[in-house]
Amino acid sequence: MNIAVTGEGIICAIGTDKSSVLESLRRKETGIATMRYLRSQHHELPVGEVKLSDDEMKSLLGIDPSLEVSRTSLMGMSAVRQALDDAQIKGQLSDRIVFISGTTVAGMDVTERHFTEIRTLDDHLSCLDYHNCGDNTRQIADHFGCFSEYTTVSTACSSAANALLLGAEMLKAGEADIVVAGGTEALSVFHLNGFNSLMILDKQQCRPFDETRAGLNLGEGAAYVVLESEEHARQRQASVHAYLTGYGNACDAFHQTASSENGEGAYLAMQQALTMAGLKPTDIDYVNAHGTGTPNNDLSESVALRRVFGEQMPPVSSTKGFTGHTTSASGSIEAVICLLAMHHGFLPANLGWKQPMADGILPTQGEDNRPLHHVLCNSFGFGGNDSSIVLSRNVECGMWNENTHASDSASDLPHSTKHLPPSTITELARVEITSEDELSEIRDFVKPLEARRMGKLMKASLLSSLKALRQAGIDCPDAIITGTSLGCWENTEALLIQIEQEGEVMLSPTYFMQSTHNTIGSNIAIRTHCHGYNITYTQGDDSLEWALRDARRLLQSGHCKTVLVGCHDETTPLYRSLMERLGVTDLPSIHSIAIVLTNKS
Amino acid sequence: MDELILELKQQIIEALNLEEMTPDEIDTDAPLFGNDGLGLDSIDALELIVLMEKRYGIKLASPTEGKAIFQSVKTIAEYVNQNRKK
Repeated sequence: MNIAVTGEGIICAIGTDKSSVLESLRRKETGIATMRYLRSQHHELPVGEVKLSDDEMKSLLGIDPSLEVSRTSLMGMSAVRQALDDAQIKGQLSDRIVFISGTTVAGMDVTERHFTEIRTLDDHLSCLDYHNCGDNTRQIADHFGCFSEYTTVSTACSSAANALLLGAEMLKAGEADIVVAGGTEALSVFHLNGFNSLMILDKQQCRPFDETRAGLNLGEGAAYVVLESEEHARQRQASVHAYLTGYGNACDAFHQTASSENGEGAYLAMQQALTMAGLKPTDIDYVNAHGTGTPNNDLSESVALRRVFGEQMPPVSSTKGFTGHTTSASGSIEAVICLLAMHHGFLPANLGWKQPMADGILPTQGEDNRPLHHVLCNSFGFGGNDSSIVLSRNVECGMWNENTHASDSASDLPHSTKHLPPSTITELARVEITSEDELSEIRDFVKPLEARRMGKLMKASLLSSLKALRQAGIDCPDAIITGTSLGCWENTEALLIQIEQEGEVMLSPTYFMQSTHNTIGSNIAIRTHCHGYNITYTQGDDSLEWALRDARRLLQSGHCKTVLVGCHDETTPLYRSLMERLGVTDLPSIHSIAIVLTNKS
Repeated sequence: MDELILELKQQIIEALNLEEMTPDEIDTDAPLFGNDGLGLDSIDALELIVLMEKRYGIKLASPTEGKAIFQSVKTIAEYVNQNRKK
């Protein structure tokens, strides 16, 4: 099945729609500037803000100005609106339109504003209804009312790229007719200080791949693309803008916040994307690098790029000098930038670059009149959740591989399962942890030095997973799929309290690095040395079901023989007391479930 | 100096969650990072930077700057002794 891109929407530091973003890219104008909307004390840190206030966005979206809506939701709604209009989707009710959104910060901007008062007053307590990633996605979906299903992917800075991957897989499996996929992330005091505690924010404009690079500038924004099968697009006479011809998802399985020296995860993700697209490295006309501007990322990515492309390096640039690092939204924002570059035939510049870095790639400074047929776009997240996508102007017969060939027959069967016998998915093991008392058993698996920083959820998820794998007789599964509603809330809360009590000082990096939801799945990957597919779903109570659906899809396609699926959540006394006031009672302190599945056919 | 060394060891145990260790078990001269010594990692280095600022008013600009200082408890003690603001 050819996956067609039929619509795009974007809002970021360099523009509030496709045409304004295009103009900034061509004029090489950065959107990174002194902080204007974020209420942080760190004015020394430049940021890539969307140049609209919350109220201005509400007014453009027709939302009652008295309602408090997360900036993440507002930007998401703006980009989804544009994408639906661009694809001329006017709620064809017979279609199953699925919304897949990548976010990590979600409603944190509102939560942090009210964190102190909600402990005693009820006035803003309902902000917790929209704090979670999944609730944020629901809020965006409800604004439109045209979606048959929605889900959330949280793999930190590769979230939006993984949303696109999932969208394509759901289309291929026949689970959707149209998918709107991408990501949204607003700046928050929480994650600005979190990144600052990791000492990876540059006080100057970021300079990806430059010798003097000293870190990233955080940005914000949202972008979504409309995906559908080429056949479906033709049937409804939609114009096909490009094709999502390849994608790869791999895990670096190295460190919670750093990339490995050999860029293994990045290398594997790019290789997989090229293989699926049926392309040789020399077919790629442009690479939009992850290129954050941190010393570590740019070196590791350069190594990975050289492993893939060797001496024949295509033009590469990071566009984070324009937008800042838009974290969970970066995958789709940069995918839309690639689509704009492809359509208008130019190479986006690598702003800020002056001096070649030791062992680094030499980025392009931008070029007009460059026809681009195939582009590769990288997105790498904390925990080594690395994903790459290939976008192609046209689908040429020569580039079809076995995977894409299956689509030429008129069969309704999902392409990837057509030639396979019916699958027999079997559960090999299941381990459930429901009490903190059980966590001391982690010592049987992990040394005290290694476990010392893990909060109770990190311990519980690792313990249930390692026990389940042991029961199943497997050292390393082919894929790790995680569901979680809240992630490591204990760490999130600790950081919120630290900001409240001490202000925006040097905060604990340990708290921050465990506050991203995908830290659970990547921790398991690091322990099991699993470089395979790794993804995290954060759709509230449905997180486990979405994780299981993905596992079944992977096993049925024959891409994986064994998959570790888990769902892990924790609460704290404070969180339980807040939720009780909202009428939610009996939340457990800890609940972790790990399941090992295999396909025995 | 001995008093500062003991205090540093206690601080390190607390800041880095080395719950199962006592100050006696940390060799004052042994490397803190890498496989030969205590086996601390890059996140520990960041936590030590936080510790330096909070407890002793010493601001370090980057983990690279911390590298030379955080070689052992002894090197930290020497640096703190000379540069502490509180």
